[in-house]
Amino acid sequence: MEEKFDVIIVGAGAAGLTAALYAARRQLSTVVFGKDLGGQTSTTMDIENYPGIDFSTGPALMNNFADQAKKFGAQIKLVGIADIKKRGEQDFWVKAEDGSEYGAKTIILAFGKHHRALDVSGEKEFRNKGVVYCATCDAPLFSDKTVAVVGGGSAAFDAVLLLTKIAKKIYLVHRRDTFRAEEILVKRAQANDKVELVLNATVQKIIGNSFVTGLVIQTPMGEQTLNVDGVFVEIGSVVGSEFIRELVQLNAAGEIVIDHVNQTTTPGVFAAGDATTVPFKQTVISAGEGAKAALAAYNYIQGLSADTQSADQGYIK
Amino acid sequence: MKLSKYTIYSTPTCHYCHLLKDWLKENHVAFEEKDVASDVEARQEMVAKSHQLGVPVSIVQLDDSGTMREEIVIGFDQMRLGQLLDIG
Repeated sequence: MEEKFDVIIVGAGAAGLTAALYAARRQLSTVVFGKDLGGQTSTTMDIENYPGIDFSTGPALMNNFADQAKKFGAQIKLVGIADIKKRGEQDFWVKAEDGSEYGAKTIILAFGKHHRALDVSGEKEFRNKGVVYCATCDAPLFSDKTVAVVGGGSAAFDAVLLLTKIAKKIYLVHRRDTFRAEEILVKRAQANDKVELVLNATVQKIIGNSFVTGLVIQTPMGEQTLNVDGVFVEIGSVVGSEFIRELVQLNAAGEIVIDHVNQTTTPGVFAAGDATTVPFKQTVISAGEGAKAALAAYNYIQGLSADTQSADQGYIK
Repeated sequence: MKLSKYTIYSTPTCHYCHLLKDWLKENHVAFEEKDVASDVEARQEMVAKSHQLGVPVSIVQLDDSGTMREEIVIGFDQMRLGQLLDIG
């Protein structure tokens, strides 16, 4: 028989788990579906900018998020969602990737983003054979090796700084000569003797035999091959929103269009975090957005307008 | 078919390794763990068996009525592992 919930949350990262915490504390029957726990935060090694937490690893912080949501009754299922359809008023049909089906009064979409691929020759062939998308996971396998990190954002510098503790030499390959990364991370990388910045360089292909042996790049000085054992791809992320294209409006980048109280263009469907049009992809912002989405969903279930302020909003003991 | 031995190759910082281990514990599956970040021999063993460098890697030894069979699963592939271990 189909299991029914007040709220089905798609995505178990900072936004989804916070939405679960808030929904569960409002006594809504709540389930979170996620392909993995913790989303992108879990692939970040050092978290130093989550207020009130001086330092945490990404996975540890996200485990706390999950435990806190479960403490108040939310369920978490580690399986992806394949399809969502509106059936009627306060009634959605949800199908998981394992074939199980569920009903829900409201949906909160919080599935975030996933890594962008370089889309060059050799990338697929050498995936897990030197090509790495999760630096925190696989960096320890490159002790005393020479590696390249591709990208110029905070994630790229996070990977570089992690690798300075492990690898022998690290090339930071970036297509521009300016960085989007936080200055503090750039300064730390520049100050490290193991790091060599290779700027204005675009990746042409990844070469190797059984495993990666080199990265071919195009620079203003011509084509060049860096002899590396590993290529860490950190060039940003994309929203995997194809499966809900029919359900809600997306922008050109595939992000879910939401209003100030996290409503999508379909009543009863809310969205939060990196998968939405909200700027600044940060754990703390996703957490706040997740809380907003859950409170708006609660109002919707009560038949109130989504931005109704309850007297006890945000403070229930 | 019954499980005779379960070995995980992992790194301490690998999030998916932790998820995999938590899932195995929840389902009462005993396993041996090898840390490929610190154990160079284990790292070579993992590469030789799986021909790749990603973690986690599960080596699942199954006893098929007296015949031993070894399955190698890369990543936390819950569906495939669920089938192998007969966990719903």
